[in-house]
Amino acid sequence: MRKNKIATLCLIASMVATTLAGCGNTKDPTNEQTGNTAVANTDNVSDITGTKADKTGMDSWKAFDENVTIKIPVYDRGVEGVPTVNDNYWTKWVQENFGDKYNITVKYVPITRTDVMTDYALLAASSELPTILMEYDYPKVAQWADEGYLTTFNMNDFAKVAPTYYNKMDENKQLPYTIMNGETYFALAERPYYNNGYTFQTFVRMDWLKQVGYDHVPQTRAEYIDAMTKMQEAGIAKNPAGGAMITGVGSDQNYGYRTFPQNEEEWAQIGDVNIPALGSKANYKLLKRANEDYNLGFTNPEYYITDEETNKASFINGDIYSYGNYISANMDWLNSFYEQNPNAELSVVPVGIVDEEGGTVPAYRSNNPFGMIIGFSSSATVDELKAGWMYMEWMTQKDTLFTMQWGVEGENYTMDASSGLPVSVGDYSGEYKQGYNNNKDYWCITIETRNAGTVKDMIKATSPKGLPQDFTQNIIDNFYKNEELIKQGYSCLDIIFSEPIEAETEYSGVLQELYKEYRDKLTMCKIEEFDALYTELTQKYMNAGYEKVMKQRLEAYKKGHSTKLQ
Amino acid sequence: MGRNKVELKKRLKRDWQLYLMLLFPVLMVIIFNYAAYPGLKMVFMDYKPARGYEGSEWVGLKIFQKIFCDGDFLRALRNSLTFNILDLIVSFPVPILLALMLNELRFKRFKKVTQTILYLPHFLSWVIIGSVAYTMFRPSTGLVNMVMTNIGLVTQGIPFLTEKWHWAVTYLFIGVWAGMGWGTIIYLAAISSVSKDLYEASMIDGAGRWKRIWHITLPGIKGTVVTLLIMNLGRIMGSNFERLDVFGNTQVRDFQYQLAVYIYEKGLGGGKFSQSTAVGLFQALVGLGLVLAADRVAKKLGEEGLI
Repeated sequence: MRKNKIATLCLIASMVATTLAGCGNTKDPTNEQTGNTAVANTDNVSDITGTKADKTGMDSWKAFDENVTIKIPVYDRGVEGVPTVNDNYWTKWVQENFGDKYNITVKYVPITRTDVMTDYALLAASSELPTILMEYDYPKVAQWADEGYLTTFNMNDFAKVAPTYYNKMDENKQLPYTIMNGETYFALAERPYYNNGYTFQTFVRMDWLKQVGYDHVPQTRAEYIDAMTKMQEAGIAKNPAGGAMITGVGSDQNYGYRTFPQNEEEWAQIGDVNIPALGSKANYKLLKRANEDYNLGFTNPEYYITDEETNKASFINGDIYSYGNYISANMDWLNSFYEQNPNAELSVVPVGIVDEEGGTVPAYRSNNPFGMIIGFSSSATVDELKAGWMYMEWMTQKDTLFTMQWGVEGENYTMDASSGLPVSVGDYSGEYKQGYNNNKDYWCITIETRNAGTVKDMIKATSPKGLPQDFTQNIIDNFYKNEELIKQGYSCLDIIFSEPIEAETEYSGVLQELYKEYRDKLTMCKIEEFDALYTELTQKYMNAGYEKVMKQRLEAYKKGHSTKLQ
Repeated sequence: MGRNKVELKKRLKRDWQLYLMLLFPVLMVIIFNYAAYPGLKMVFMDYKPARGYEGSEWVGLKIFQKIFCDGDFLRALRNSLTFNILDLIVSFPVPILLALMLNELRFKRFKKVTQTILYLPHFLSWVIIGSVAYTMFRPSTGLVNMVMTNIGLVTQGIPFLTEKWHWAVTYLFIGVWAGMGWGTIIYLAAISSVSKDLYEASMIDGAGRWKRIWHITLPGIKGTVVTLLIMNLGRIMGSNFERLDVFGNTQVRDFQYQLAVYIYEKGLGGGKFSQSTAVGLFQALVGLGLVLAADRVAKKLGEEGLI
């Protein structure tokens, strides 16, 4: 009887404890002890740097008297085969080599890659914003700045704590982008060769092309249609172009369909890839072609209910002609492709093709002249802010960065005796296993690509390894071709606004969803119905908020609160 | 009064474990259903998560004005009402019929196996159901369409989930399939409480199976039916985001765009917490109104009602 009573009590206690577990504020007690108030605007250099001596950077750093916790976001991409993003060998390595030295606890906060805004909003609502907030898209961080997520800071203070990081921003001419509404909100990571775009490559079935009489990748629209048709007729593939549903942001990039030189006001109104530009001439041409592809049967008729992973699987299984993605030394999907299709031959699609008859130019989207955009939580204390800057500076140091990017010698990489450069072990799976894309989601806070030697060396290091074919030279060729295109003005840098565009914040979500619906209707309608439907849906899109977005963008541009067309 | 106190003390002493265990659900309800109520004030604010309640601006009824003038909200409201009423019409009677049928089965093992098979879909998440549904019903590569095409029943695949009218029917019937087994449990329990004497007496009087169902079983579970109907009416404004999301695609958005989708896309997706909370509050108030009205009607018709 007594045993029963004790068991009952234990059961009830555990039930109640479980219920209440989520109700507490999990703020680190060590931070409460420091008694620091949140940073509004840190003008006092000595307060933030903690030193009045001449020394700056790591030489001037001392361990904090009381432990400081910093929370760093890290993308949890849901990729299989990578260690847990917030608890692995490398997070412990950071703690041991940086945190413990300066009495800082480094906590990583997993953020989903596809729903960044919601993740941060929920963290903010529960007063759990990480010390550092980072994102690749300028409109998103502009929204954070506007909605009070971020604190402003004094760039001189930052330069004192993190001089290497600051000098890098200065050298790369990034400082003007750190300001929003006249206040300093951001620090910016480096993006080497930001306007080249060589890191994304499209692979096509060269063996199929040879079967239908081509010794090269189709260069024009006419050649493309011919090759696809012949593939269908030869029974090689039913719907060779495949296809997947679009995701909204970044979809249907229309740079290749634009008229050059671009009209600057039109360029300003189109903005960036955050909201697809339905109604622009370039978008019309792009969707007209998508409609043609669909009606010719090149596109998978079920593409709109096929996700990207399924489309990738179709390429791996040898059902479709092409697939593109970012390159890295270890590309699982290419490994799988060759396992499934041992006799297949792939080719990298060459860049710089002009197709006057097809109405396209070799233009492409240049990335921003910076990588990650880094802001700091409005609820961070002075010490947390300083510790965050120290983390960024430490990560920027050559030896730290090299270890984070390449791993442990003899395990994650080997040194090539002839070139003296590191070579990644593509299939490494031991205890030092790095996170997604060579730990990129940790070191992206300072730089966007792995560095080792010249650009050729970099491409050699990041080109896919361990495959029956070597694409390194093709990628190098594409790199130099892109360099020529940059000189010709075909690397298109989107406008960046130094004030938040309110209509973008208000309507972007709705317009992204609406675009998916409309572009699929336009892709799948009959060819003869396309023009009328395009006009009708464009009007609806404008009424749903796009007109207001374009208007506000143009106003900001005219006020000089934006970059100019280069 | 004093006697009552003594009684209560006695009971507490005797059954303290039970009262202590009751503490858990009561705490759950207080914390998750009532403790969040002060947060409802965000419907009168332009709430920004980073600024909190103190830093966000009071805007009065502007959020409601904005919602009721929003074409997307009206579209979502129309779709939600239409589909929930259809869902009620299609889904509500099925568990009753199924319970009546199961009750008539005499081979116990067969009855139990059938019941178990019927319950199983309830335990599958909508993500799994959606994934299976797309595998089965894709227009050209779905199993059902492939079979029908191969045996010559159709020349072109039926767009079960990719054309809005077909989608509406498929969506509703998958809902029935997923929920009917679970719904029968309550009715079977109610049927089991109907006195066996009544059945025996009616059989002596020569009543057949249909007569027994009509005159004994159905009147016996009428109270349960009315209670569940009232509870279901309370959900007429609600919608299940998970279900809508897994069955959604761009071709059926005209019907799939219901309040749950509106709340997710405009609220959580767009960071407009005030707007989504206001819609949630609107749904809850209308639901409450419907429950109270239905309860009143039920009482007027001589039933016990819910409250």
